[in-house]
Parts: sequence; C-alpha cells; structure tokens
Amino acid sequence: MKNTWLLTKITLQEAFARKNFIMFFAVSSFIILIIIAVFASTDLTNYTNISQMGGDQFDLRRKVAQFFRVLIIMPLFGGGLFLAIFSVSSFIPALLEKGNIDVFLSKPISRTQLLLGKYFGGILVVFLNVAYLVVAIWILTGVKFGAWEADFLLSAVSITFTFAVLYALIILIGVATQSSVLAMMLTYLIFFILSPLLLARDKWETLIKSDLVKSIADMLYYIIPKTSELGTITKDLALGNPVDSFQPVISSSLFLILTLWLGIFIFNKKDY
Amino acid sequence: MHAVEVNNLTKIYSGGMKSGRIAALKNFSLNVEEGKIFGLLGPNGAGKTTLIKILLGITSATHGDAKILGSDVSDYHIKKHVGYLPENHKFPSYLTGEQLLKFIADLSGYETGNINGRIDELLEMVAMFKWKKTKIKKYSKGMMQRIGLAQAMINDPDLIFLDEPTDGVDPIGRKEIRDILSHLKSKGKTIFVNSHLLSEVEVISDRVAILNKGELITEGTVDDLTSNRELYRISFEGDLPETILTGELAEYSLNRLEDKSYTLKVTNVNSLNDFIDRVRALHLNIHSIVPQKSSLEDMFISLIKESNGKNNK
Repeated sequence: MKNTWLLTKITLQEAFARKNFIMFFAVSSFIILIIIAVFASTDLTNYTNISQMGGDQFDLRRKVAQFFRVLIIMPLFGGGLFLAIFSVSSFIPALLEKGNIDVFLSKPISRTQLLLGKYFGGILVVFLNVAYLVVAIWILTGVKFGAWEADFLLSAVSITFTFAVLYALIILIGVATQSSVLAMMLTYLIFFILSPLLLARDKWETLIKSDLVKSIADMLYYIIPKTSELGTITKDLALGNPVDSFQPVISSSLFLILTLWLGIFIFNKKDY
Repeated sequence: MHAVEVNNLTKIYSGGMKSGRIAALKNFSLNVEEGKIFGLLGPNGAGKTTLIKILLGITSATHGDAKILGSDVSDYHIKKHVGYLPENHKFPSYLTGEQLLKFIADLSGYETGNINGRIDELLEMVAMFKWKKTKIKKYSKGMMQRIGLAQAMINDPDLIFLDEPTDGVDPIGRKEIRDILSHLKSKGKTIFVNSHLLSEVEVISDRVAILNKGELITEGTVDDLTSNRELYRISFEGDLPETILTGELAEYSLNRLEDKSYTLKVTNVNSLNDFIDRVRALHLNIHSIVPQKSSLEDMFISLIKESNGKNNK
C-alpha cells in the first residue's frame, strides 16, 4: 500500500511536470473567472426573467443554476476527458522505456504495485482537476442562486469514473504495445465513436439486414464501456435528476476490472 | 552464503519470425562471494546485462536457478538490500538530484531517522552536492552517472550491481568512482560490475568472469587469469654458454633478453620440470623462475578469439 501511494505521488509529480495538466488547470481557472465576471456584472432578476417558466422564485433560481452547471459539465465531460486521455496516454510507454523501467523493477516493489501506482496517480490528477472546476462552479452557483444541491458534486466522481474506465484501457494497450498513439486512438475510438454509435444502435440497426452485424453490435454494446450513458448520468447529476439506471456503471466497472487485471497480468509476465 | 548464486541459467529470447530464438545465456553457472568486487566482462551481446536483469527480476530466466543474498530472485522483498545502476538509465527528469534520492530511498524501503543527512553524505561522496537542487534534465552524462551511483547506494545495500558505471565519466571521475567502490568493499559490501573497460576491472576486481555468446569462458582472480602458465622468465647464475643453448637445451624454446635472463615457453608444468631437471643435470644454477603475466586485455582478446573460433567450427 505504501509503495502504491509512493508511485501515485510520483505520478502526480510527473503529471504536473508535464504542461498539459497545468494547462487544464489554467483553462479551468479561466472558466471560473469568466463565470465570476458574468455573475458579478448581472442582476439576479435578469436570469429569472429569461427563464419565464413560472413556478416560485426558488425553483426558477434552481433551474438557472442547473443551466449554468450543465453548461460547464457537459463540455468538461467531452473536452476535459479528451485532454485527460491525451495527457496520460504516454504515462505507461514512458514508464516502460529502457533505462527507466529497470530502475523501478530493481526496487522492492511488485509489478502490480507499480502499475496500480501509475493508475491511481493518473486518476488522482484528473479527479483533482475536475473537482477543482466542479466545486468552484457549485460554490459560485450556490452563492449566486442559493441552490446548493450536493448531488451536483457527484458529477466530478462520475467524470472521474469515466476516465478511470478509459485509463484502464490505456494501461492495457500501453503495457501490451508500449505505444501511446495506439492507446490514445483506441480510447478515442471507444469514447467518441463506438459508445455513442452502439447506444443508438436501435436507430441504425433497422437499416441493416445482416443478423450477424446486429449480433456483433449487441455483443460490443455489452463489452465496450458505456461512456455515452455515463455522460447521461453525469448530466442527470448536474441537473439534479434521479439516475434511471446504474447498469452502465456496473458493466463499465466490469470492463475496468477486466482490462486492468489483464494489463497487470501482461506486465507481470513481460521481460524488460 | 554467496551474494550471488547462479545455476545452469539459460535465457532464450524469442526474436520473432525473422530472427528466430536467440540464446542470451546458455547453461550459465556462477557464484559471487560476499564482500568482494566481482567483474563481469564480455563483448557486446555477450549476455552480461541479461544476467543482471535476471538477478534483479527485470527479466525472467528460461531455465535454471538464480539467488541473490540467499533468496530466490523472484522474491522482490530481497531487493531492499540491493542497489542497481543500470546502463543508459533514465531517471524522472522533473526531479532534482535530492528529490530523486529521497524517492529512491522511499521506494527501496530505506527507513532511517536522518534521510536528509544520508542524501547529503552521498551527494558529497559522488561530488554532486552543489547540484542537489538542480533538475536532472539539466545534468550532463557524467553527472547522471554520479547521481546514478548515489541512488544505487542510497538504501545502504549489501549487494550493488553496476552496469558500465564509468560510462561517460572523465578520468578523474573514474578514479573517484574506483575509490568509492573500494570504500564500499571495505565496509563489507559486495559489488558486481559489468564493464567494457578492462583496465578498470583489472584494477578494482577481486574476481573476474568472462562471458561470450551467453557462455562462461573463464572465471578466477585477476592474478590467476593474467598469469600466463606457459611463459616463464628464467635467470641463471652467470651466463649460459652458447654451446649449451644450441646443444643440450636446443629442444627448449629459450629466448635471451637484454638483462641476460631468458623467456621459456613450455606446453605445461611437466615440461617446465623436465627443463629444470635438465639444467640441474648440467650443473647450472637457476637464480629465479617467474611466471609471466599478460594484461587482462591481452587475455580477454585471446580468450574471446579462441571461443569464437570454437563456436565457428
């Protein structure tokens, strides 16, 4: 446990040494400053007039607060995860570089601890960045509109969980191929193309006659992590809506465990 | 207990469809005594680094057993007592020298009340103290070797593996590294050195092994290996008459040297004793017989050529 934490810490240091995460932090700060400026320069009645949705004042305020939260959270889910995947995809290939991996493997730590340290380190970096923005938005919208729904804070966990699932895949591909480009491309393929496509398979499957293709699509739907549905859950949390189904969380967790286990298994068998 | 015990170790790399299988080590056996400096020599691709990597669990053996400090190499806990300086190492470039040593000490499970004192002591020892707050990415090749040596010693290990420790280091730095190794030996540490620099290994090592194409060619003390058993320097009381040289002793390969002594080349020790008997029978007095030494480099080149010749047959 101590070794894993040490490696998690060094991964944090590595992440901050790379400019990507500093950039991410700077962008988050910039967004926070813009929102502060917008909130400071406008009167609360402007928002309630815009809504024109009837109901009591508090309900209107809450809806405007939710509007701002979704406005930030959904681009964070897509864009933030895009940047995070880009940043961590080189972690494992860099670890496995000749001359670097030798140093780590010559120490009294198991390979499993080493890989888990890298894994948790990456997750912690993303969580800190996401939590920074989410908590800041929650405080700002809370102060401005008096809406303090704590469920919104769970969207930081939901985004981090989605990242953790994809990062397990990055680890597996990184260990198996030592290619950051391949790890990044496959992860983007799942996140941006396959997952949305498979979620909407009911719509396009009617155009396809082959049962085999339909069966493959169905099978892939259950195998591949359901990042699109995780996006929907994140949006529901931002809006304060109840989460309809935890099935995407369960199946994505299984994917995470399986890919991470496979990554550790291959890492334990490889010669360096 | 030996610091390193290797029995019938074989490592075969699968080189893919084109290159096939490559045997990096073939039935290799070796023991390294505790408290000694052991030099492993061999040309490029001999299997030296593969052996170290197997001993440290970085690479697995195809067959055979290997132990360090009495424990099987698969037991990673034993590495708490081991230090390692890899060849062409890459330390996290975003750390300073001081941070690196702290990190490696933590990773090595080194627990002491005064880690900062230990770090400063080692940085002083490798002449890197004034660079301790500088990021590693700014270090030169020589500085990287020095900090590498410091990290290999940070956990006060009993066994230290050094792969080309003086690579990229200037002559003064090499001398300093040799002194550090001698100091470690005086503290009872075992040091296992891989090096191309034969003259250095000759100076520092208690024992030496030569590896070629995955096979152990020879092993012994530097004195043993460099003593040429076939060549002796002989001096007699007074001059040896020319008639005896060309007459009774004509069958021996004797060459006169400038100081009136002779070199004698014999095929084995029995031939040497035959020669002595013959000389004594002639009532000549032998003043001295000294086996001649070749340098480690001469011996290395001759053994590798011989080994390659055998393998090519």
